[in-house]
Amino acid sequence: MAYVATRGGEQAIEQAERLFRAEMGEITPERVAEIKTALPYLIDRVMGEASLYDEDLAALALAQAGGDLYEAVLLLRAWRTTQPRLHVARPIEQVTLFTHRRISAAFKDIPGGQVLGPTLDYSHRIIATDVLEGARYVPAPVTPSATPAPAHQPSVAAWQAENDLVEMPGFDETAPEDIPDVTREPVLFPATRAHRLQSLARADTGATLALGYAAMRGYGQAHPTVNELRLCEAEIIVTHPKGTAFSAGRVKVSQAEVVSKKGDTLELGFAATLGWNEVKCISAATLDLNSKGAPKGSPTEEEFYLYHTEGVESSGFCIHFKLPHYVTFQSSLDAMRSAKKTGTTAEKTSPSKEPAQ
Amino acid sequence: MTHPHNLCLTTLARSDACAIKTFGEGLLDHLDPVEVLSSRTGLVMLPMRDTAQGTGFHLGEVLVSEAHIRMGAHEGYGMRRGRDLEAAMAMALVDLALDAGRAVADCTAFVSEQAKMQQAQDHDTLCRIEATRVDMETF
Repeated sequence: MAYVATRGGEQAIEQAERLFRAEMGEITPERVAEIKTALPYLIDRVMGEASLYDEDLAALALAQAGGDLYEAVLLLRAWRTTQPRLHVARPIEQVTLFTHRRISAAFKDIPGGQVLGPTLDYSHRIIATDVLEGARYVPAPVTPSATPAPAHQPSVAAWQAENDLVEMPGFDETAPEDIPDVTREPVLFPATRAHRLQSLARADTGATLALGYAAMRGYGQAHPTVNELRLCEAEIIVTHPKGTAFSAGRVKVSQAEVVSKKGDTLELGFAATLGWNEVKCISAATLDLNSKGAPKGSPTEEEFYLYHTEGVESSGFCIHFKLPHYVTFQSSLDAMRSAKKTGTTAEKTSPSKEPAQ
Repeated sequence: MTHPHNLCLTTLARSDACAIKTFGEGLLDHLDPVEVLSSRTGLVMLPMRDTAQGTGFHLGEVLVSEAHIRMGAHEGYGMRRGRDLEAAMAMALVDLALDAGRAVADCTAFVSEQAKMQQAQDHDTLCRIEATRVDMETF
């Protein structure tokens, strides 16, 4: 058997792309600006999964991809490779975060109190169909408090450590430039914690939820309770050529700590991401919490969930099946026909393999 | 009153883009010819400290605009989040002017005004956040 070269698809490919883009019409700065303003949580999700923070670019990617999240994330990840890395910022510490929302489901009276911030958690989910009939949906304005909330909130885990409920982590002295980076080196298993948390930070939200939910439903070792959940803004601390440290601006960040009720002490799982995305952080923190001792091939095993929550790789692998496989499929058919003729099957003779081999 | 260098840079990096561009353009009359060392967009990797085990890890990269300029022995530097080379250059011009002692009163006034606006913005945000504090009653 030989490979068969074919030609003749160029025009069809060109027209197919035109057909896709024609559906969406013209992309204008106004459209990009509207997407950025109207869909901040979608923008956040795309920036987190792309591992690239810029609202304008994320809005443009969404406009160009017609709202296909995987295409938008791929556009951003590809564009990112054209840019030089100028700095590694000073690591964000939790107590320096400008906090908009901070709650705990484990302890009612946490230091600093429970601040709901922007959320639909307690809202009725009623779609405003009047808008489709010409009405305007104008949200009621917030009635501000006379006094401001504290910009920074103390750590729940630190308070728990003071009460001997958890062990305070040691200080990681790794220089920011030396922190392992999945964009510069391959992830090897068992992964470093830095690789695990970075991979989860850029993981696909849906995949992270699916595997985290499996753990929550019982296909894991520990059931999570949200110890602390934050939506906040972090300063990007960089260094002036003369050595002065300053903030180049703020970015939205979300983080979740989940706690396991099993055993004598409490165990914590952690995750964070760029942008505000609570579902992803809680799911990812649940996977982190459940990693220890997870059976091979289970949804909470590190290798399993890190490989299967990488959105660009998984969506890319999925869509590659649409590309012509005429030769390999023909080869399979030939093998099947041959096996039928000789009365054997391929399965009987092939050695056992791991599913992903 | 002049501001500490870090507060000045932080304020300029967060200042209104249109305002700093207009102000920076006006500064050119007070400066000698300037050499541009760099004017580019790029990425800043943002690490974070995990609160469960204390590990430093990379959260992701942030798009920034950077400008680095020189005038004789003096240097000016600007870095701001986002894709706006003109705003980063304007920031570098203010930094350069302050370093060289040119138009110091104007620059200080601009930084003070921007800092005041940013503080007011943060105050408003925090008052709106405080409105969502749960005043829990235990039965």
